[in-house]
Amino acid sequence: MLTRRDILQKCVALGSVAIAPHFCPEAMLAVFQEREKQVRKPTPPDVLGPFYKRLTPMNNMLRAPGDPGVPLTLSGQVFNTRGDILPDAIIEIWQANHQGYYDLDGYRYRGKLQTDNSGAYGFESVIPGHYPDKSRICQHTHYLVIAPGHKTLVTQLYFATDPVFEGDPAKNYSRDPLIESPELIRPVMLTGDPNEVHAKVQFELCLELL
Amino acid sequence: MRSVIAVFWVLYCVPMAVLAQSARQHTTINLPAGVSARRVSALGNQATISRTGALVASVCTDNVVRVWSARSAELMRTLNENAGAPRTVRFSADGRMLAVAYQRGAVKVFDVESWNVTHDLTGTLHIHGLAFSPDSQRLAAVGAVAAQVWELNSGKSLAHVSPPFGGSFSVSFSPNGKLFATADGDAFVRVYDVSSGNLQSTVQGFLLEPMAVAFSPDGKTLLAGGVDKTISMVESASGQTFRTIPKQPGLIWSLDVSTDGKEAAVVYRSAESFSDINHIILWDLVKGTVLVDFQKPGITITGGGFVGEHYHFAAASGNQLTLWSMP
Repeated sequence: MLTRRDILQKCVALGSVAIAPHFCPEAMLAVFQEREKQVRKPTPPDVLGPFYKRLTPMNNMLRAPGDPGVPLTLSGQVFNTRGDILPDAIIEIWQANHQGYYDLDGYRYRGKLQTDNSGAYGFESVIPGHYPDKSRICQHTHYLVIAPGHKTLVTQLYFATDPVFEGDPAKNYSRDPLIESPELIRPVMLTGDPNEVHAKVQFELCLELL
Repeated sequence: MRSVIAVFWVLYCVPMAVLAQSARQHTTINLPAGVSARRVSALGNQATISRTGALVASVCTDNVVRVWSARSAELMRTLNENAGAPRTVRFSADGRMLAVAYQRGAVKVFDVESWNVTHDLTGTLHIHGLAFSPDSQRLAAVGAVAAQVWELNSGKSLAHVSPPFGGSFSVSFSPNGKLFATADGDAFVRVYDVSSGNLQSTVQGFLLEPMAVAFSPDGKTLLAGGVDKTISMVESASGQTFRTIPKQPGLIWSLDVSTDGKEAAVVYRSAESFSDINHIILWDLVKGTVLVDFQKPGITITGGGFVGEHYHFAAASGNQLTLWSMP
């Protein structure tokens, strides 16, 4: 398998990376590689909440055919604060169904996967509903991310389309007492047509080194 | 037909009527205009009743803690320490101290006579539960990050432990104060040695999160329950579950064991509507049967404890805090 350095050297050889003649290519590539590994900010943690369930099966298709609610694709990459991608991270998510109910008897809307070689992940679900008690707890999906050599991350993803935010999550995020950081509120991209709308949310995750 | 109705009346209606009347509201506290007793925010008891039943303290929506006489409803003290939003409160077993945990992790211990802060401790974020040891010499705080135990005389931190992830919801000391048990977010109950923080045993029987844990008075049994709606009775030394109390519709929110170990008061949180915490069952632990089953829509049970043979609890409703006892 080619290292990042090998790839950069190949890019130079093939002309896709040009280096000014008065600079040493080796030194330039070293700096380029270092800059690529910019320090990332760790993903803010959030509470685990009371509905975590042990022994969740490996499964990224949480939505069954015909499930009501807005179909949702959750995807992203996992990094550490040094900028390294984490191909061996285990991501576990759980959430309520579109009406705000958790499955406590089985494992509906609960799933787990291992990130691929590029640290990428993807789950298919539905946009979770608000809790039925009309509290101001926003729609959310729980994340548990475990990677060897890194601090385990427990956090939650919130949806910028949540009516509680009235379109301005940066201003109104504190309406939900559990949201400590607006960074956890992610934009929602709607695709498809009005008859078959599909939501996509990108959520990059960054773990701290131990 | 009449005989059928009579049998139904005797078998169903009479016991239900007896059960329904078995919790008695004895005090009503009116809060200032625009203020109410804090109901559940995320986790943790928002009210506490002293062991003698003389005082009740509650976190209020204006972010102060108020203390009243539980008998006369007279306001005894308002505690406003500018330490952030109070989250959970607990009286010591000897009734001489009140511990308050704040949003950002501060834990303050007040002397109940002078109301001075006697201990100013640094806890971790999102504290869900507080417990004093039975001799009132030690204080434990558990939350989203870690569990900590302090020796109050010296202010020294004795133990600082955390599960692999998820923190802990509830904590209980053994009767001799040498062990403490935590109900952990990763769906285990763990028992630790207080002086070293060493893990003594792990209860593995849960799939869903336990939210409440309590030692029996003899220290041999742990009671724990949570989202699985079932109370597990566990041998504290081995971590083996030897008996369960029948499942109820609600999630187990808190549990207290009577001083003789024969009864447990269990507060249930609705699984359908999470902010509804208005159901409480007094269980006979010896027979595994229900002694009192009390549910009242419109109130939120915010904390309680055994006062002698009776279980006293506080409930928020509008801008009133009502105090109840059962049976």
